[in-house]
Amino acid sequence: MYRYTEFDQRFIDERVAQYRQQTRRYLAGELTDEQFQQLRLRNGLYIQRLAPMLRVAVPYGTLSATQLRALADISRRYDKGYGHLTTRQNVQFNWPTLEAVPDILADLATVEMHAIQTSGSCIRNITTDQFAGVAADEAVDPRPYCEITRQWSSQHPEFDWLPRKFKIALNGAAADRAATQVHDIGIRVRRDAAGQDVFDFLVGGGLGRTPAIGGVIREGLAVEHLLTYLEAILRIYNRYGRRDNKYKARIKILARAMTLPGLKERVDAEWAHLQDGPGTLTAAEIQRVKAHFAPPAYAQQADATALLAERRLASPAFNAWMRNNVAAHRAPGYAIVTLSTKLTGVPPGDVTDVQMDAVADWADAYGHGEVRIGHEQNFILPDVPLGQLPELWERATAQGLAAANLGLLTDMVCCPGGDYCSLANAKSIPLAEAIQRRFDDRDYLHDLGQIDLNISGCMNACGHHHVGHIGILGVDKKGAEFYQVSLGGNAGDDASLGKILGPSFGREEVPDVIEGILDVFVQERREAEPFLHCVRRIGIEPFRQRAYANAG
Amino acid sequence: MPTLVKNLGVARDDWTLLEAPVAPPHVPERAILPLAAWLEGGAAFKARTDMGVWLAGDADPEANAAALAALPLLAIHIPAFADGRGLSLGALLRTRYGFGGELRAFGDILPDLAPYLHRCGFDAFVLADDRAAHAAIEAVGAITGHYQASATAPLPAFRRLARDAAEGVG
Ligand code: HEM
Ligand code: SF4
Repeated sequence: MYRYTEFDQRFIDERVAQYRQQTRRYLAGELTDEQFQQLRLRNGLYIQRLAPMLRVAVPYGTLSATQLRALADISRRYDKGYGHLTTRQNVQFNWPTLEAVPDILADLATVEMHAIQTSGSCIRNITTDQFAGVAADEAVDPRPYCEITRQWSSQHPEFDWLPRKFKIALNGAAADRAATQVHDIGIRVRRDAAGQDVFDFLVGGGLGRTPAIGGVIREGLAVEHLLTYLEAILRIYNRYGRRDNKYKARIKILARAMTLPGLKERVDAEWAHLQDGPGTLTAAEIQRVKAHFAPPAYAQQADATALLAERRLASPAFNAWMRNNVAAHRAPGYAIVTLSTKLTGVPPGDVTDVQMDAVADWADAYGHGEVRIGHEQNFILPDVPLGQLPELWERATAQGLAAANLGLLTDMVCCPGGDYCSLANAKSIPLAEAIQRRFDDRDYLHDLGQIDLNISGCMNACGHHHVGHIGILGVDKKGAEFYQVSLGGNAGDDASLGKILGPSFGREEVPDVIEGILDVFVQERREAEPFLHCVRRIGIEPFRQRAYANAG
Repeated sequence: MPTLVKNLGVARDDWTLLEAPVAPPHVPERAILPLAAWLEGGAAFKARTDMGVWLAGDADPEANAAALAALPLLAIHIPAFADGRGLSLGALLRTRYGFGGELRAFGDILPDLAPYLHRCGFDAFVLADDRAAHAAIEAVGAITGHYQASATAPLPAFRRLARDAAEGVG
């Protein structure tokens, strides 16, 4: 993974000092709440319902074991001994004090980490495929381009005071695990016929109040133009994006107002000035960054086929975990393991200091000291030798990190909701737990197959409910908490936005409603048809009828 | 009292900003006119060398870029401290249109915006008071090396560092 140069380290250290000075001025009364808000947001500090919340950047979801141990340590010293994995591959702490944040940042800087631009109206953490670099279906490793983009976006002189937050995601595999169609800019990296890396740029996707699917604005762009093309898009957005209404300020609204071809015309005209200028990447720079992501030396592994077959037969729980949580690796003899945080009764994404330390130890013992965070709020160990899977599974089970539900109904994405968030209409965590409790039969869940269930506590859509196969949105009805259910959303290759079933339900009705929806699916599906396909084929009407019948 | 920072020092402001248009014969010396008023003044105004123009954040200077670039002073209005349009506008005037005169930001300017303004080519900014002015000057030096090319760094870090390495410079 990427290691800081002296230049990178100095930048981070000076940024800590800068923020320390800003905090000092605020505490001395030299900055108003409103002024300091903009400054702290650009360093990941929200003030929430219960306490400040610090969001630490995990660039494109990649951590070293050392960094993860540092996060565990911070959670112990400054928080209540746990952290939260976010849907944008970051880590959040819910209980630090405002005064302690400069010290936390200084600690982070010692392990090459920061909280720069993890909130506020600026370019946010760059996200990607959590399996980048190891996935069997990958054409190009997107991480070097993520890192180049991260550096370019850090305190950009022009683009740190945008109309609204700005999210960029890159994906380099056949499957789109980075949700490029629902980002302000989605970049698909591929290898062209001549064997060169090229980019396809999508613009104007996003969730929130006005969900939108991004459209292609440029195809086959040569890699050296990455930063100049980004600059052209951002400059048009910074100059012309709306600033009068924050709900209409995302680039998706500008794309709609200008139309996609109209926006493309403006961007291309701007780019004509920048193309081949000093911002153009050099082959040497691309090489330099790529070298940090060179594959580790994969050892020849002893054949584990017999061992695994025997263990799977002996333990249905191990068998289920192997089936759901272990993915194909590009190197023979290795696997990619997802450690699910979605154990019933635990808020999705919450991990304790002990769990973080344990995962860091496993990353060293069963890999090359690297950990990933996926946007489904799980940990990933990217390089596990097949023969060590049984041992890892046992240890993960003991730590409550072996829920064998990856991709299944109970592997939910869920925002913090009314328990933590001041914007919430409704709680989301207790609802997630109620659903997990209702559907805890492993065989039934496996039989249902892949179902993404996403919950947001309000229309800001932090839980990505629009792109859940089943989406649940907290709404406020005369001061009471209700939930709107939608079906048919998808974040993957053929992204789509869910369709709302109808009037909202009370919290205690939701598990029955979900059960009704699943019953219709089981009845109507053809052979091994996935849930999403079934919804797309038969439409939402049969589901709607059963849902309202079940809700009584 | 509003305090002008120029070339990273507190300076006396000998320009007068006119918010509304003034009839041509009555324009005082060293006046900063709204763009529309200056355009209306036509050739008579363009001939004057002691006149500046101010632009709103959403101005499109492209059509008059050459004439504007010849002026001694351009000012850009920052209506709210988190409004970054002026940064793009300033950067364009400085780097694309070759403006060499005083580039000034005024309006709702937080000291912490100063480093960004500076890097986008502004050499003057009007702060709310003396303390804010000094905070702005201090803020500019907080971070010594940035990644991007800008008005103060013609090359991005990756080109600069590669060049220094090739030349054996620390
Ligand atoms: C608890 C405090 C939080 C607050 C106040 C908050 C606030 C918001 C707001 C206002 C938006 C809407 C932005 C827009 O419409 O442009 C948003 C979007 C989003 N939030 Fe949060 N959020 C919080 C926590 C989280 C957490 C914990 C996660 C990750 C699990 C998260 C992930 C996201 C994502 C991915 C979006 C993007 C949706 C999009 O693309 O527009 N947020 N958040
Ligand atoms: S979706 Fe709403 S309730 Fe949930 S975290 Fe975001 S802002 Fe808060």
